[in-house]
Amino acid sequence: IVIHCSYTGISIHAPPRTEKMAVDQDWSSVYPTAAAFKPASVPLPIRMGYPVKRGVPPPKEGNLELIKIPNFLHLTPPAIKKHCAALKDFCTEWPSALDSDEKCEQHFPIEIETVDYVSAGTSIRNPKARVVTLRVKLSNLNLDDHAKKKLIKLVGDRYCKDTDMLTITTDRCPLRRQNYDYSIHLLTVLYHESWKTEMWESEKTEEDMEEYIWENSCSQKNALDTLLRIKASENVSNVTEEELLASEVVKNYRNSVIALKNEGETENNVSQYKESVKKLLNIQALP
Amino acid sequence: LTFLLLFVAVTHEIPAFWPHSVQRLQQLRQLKAFGLEAGMVTLVLSLKMQVSISDEPETLYKRLSLLVKGHDKAVLDSYEYFAVLAAKELGISVEKVHKPPKKIERLTLLKSVHIYKKHRVQYEMRTHYMCLELKYLTSSTAAVYLEYVQRNLPEGVAMEVKKTKIEKIPEHIQEPVWDTLPQVEETEVKS
Repeated sequence: IVIHCSYTGISIHAPPRTEKMAVDQDWSSVYPTAAAFKPASVPLPIRMGYPVKRGVPPPKEGNLELIKIPNFLHLTPPAIKKHCAALKDFCTEWPSALDSDEKCEQHFPIEIETVDYVSAGTSIRNPKARVVTLRVKLSNLNLDDHAKKKLIKLVGDRYCKDTDMLTITTDRCPLRRQNYDYSIHLLTVLYHESWKTEMWESEKTEEDMEEYIWENSCSQKNALDTLLRIKASENVSNVTEEELLASEVVKNYRNSVIALKNEGETENNVSQYKESVKKLLNIQALP
Repeated sequence: LTFLLLFVAVTHEIPAFWPHSVQRLQQLRQLKAFGLEAGMVTLVLSLKMQVSISDEPETLYKRLSLLVKGHDKAVLDSYEYFAVLAAKELGISVEKVHKPPKKIERLTLLKSVHIYKKHRVQYEMRTHYMCLELKYLTSSTAAVYLEYVQRNLPEGVAMEVKKTKIEKIPEHIQEPVWDTLPQVEETEVKS
């Protein structure tokens, strides 16, 4: 408050409010909401700005830097605690039975991810806010073997083999709720289509297979062929194919070939294959 | 496993552009906007806020990820202290708070209005980030926390909130529908 006499030109400034403030006052009544920095209301000796040569930064009176920067004087810890105590009535508890991620996934397998954007500008809308991502693990859906393979083929890149997670991202509709409905619709359609078996699916060739199956493959034919010829050359009585298939050496060979094809070439797999071939062809001499 | 889904709806006047609150909240004419306006703190304490419970079941959020962006690191640090303290007071578990590295966008412009191509001036815009991850919130708690934290967002700071909602598998995906449909003769597809 300034008392100014326009005749004499004398102004008398009242002392700032800070001098009358008690040390244990209620600060949340001085700054109840976000407000600009008022040097006469803040009893702190703050200096801010670039220091003068061989001097100190400028004081708080008339300091534009202190007014420009957003201050948190209205959000001191006691003020935050007061606000939260009043807000606590409106909060609800998380169900205590769902205390881990695994349990959440067991009871609620589908995860919907949405993003909200808050920023200052001419418009509060953000076009990225309509994107909806739906994630679900295929092990939680009711699918049988054929349905799972067909679904993975239908979905392509959206399925991750390592985590067994199907991710559907939709943003073709203008509103978020529409995108959510569309993603649920996509999931429903995929699920039901994968349970159907079309006529042309019986024409599935070996190249289309996801994993290597030993039965009816050239590896099986070649192995049986070789063994039959060995037996024929040794003039042993005709051994049937079923007996050969059931023998230990052939089973060993089968497992090692499947491991090689499905899991790739590791040291273990290759050495296992070597052992099984040696046993199959009865060549123990080589190291 | 059965567990009670508690449903609490907040009853106070909320401006129309907060869509997540307008769905479930009723407008209470007498109760003014929640006491963060000037001088309203004392008023709120005397005017008891009414909590009403609605029938809608709560949606559950497995994770709430707040990414705050600003030009000034000190402002973001203060905001982080505020957000973490608010979460602790409201009983929300904070998974982690981490600060992704800042991104600097630089541009080089001509210093003079006309000619003097060799003399340029360079500007840069620094964006600092702070990411706060919260776990296991119900929709009421999330609405309350987000509203509180977003109303107190300082000027010049932007926020992105990523919500991960968890849901049960809808009924129409439990069983394939082909088992229940009546047998229909297959018709030839006309090419």
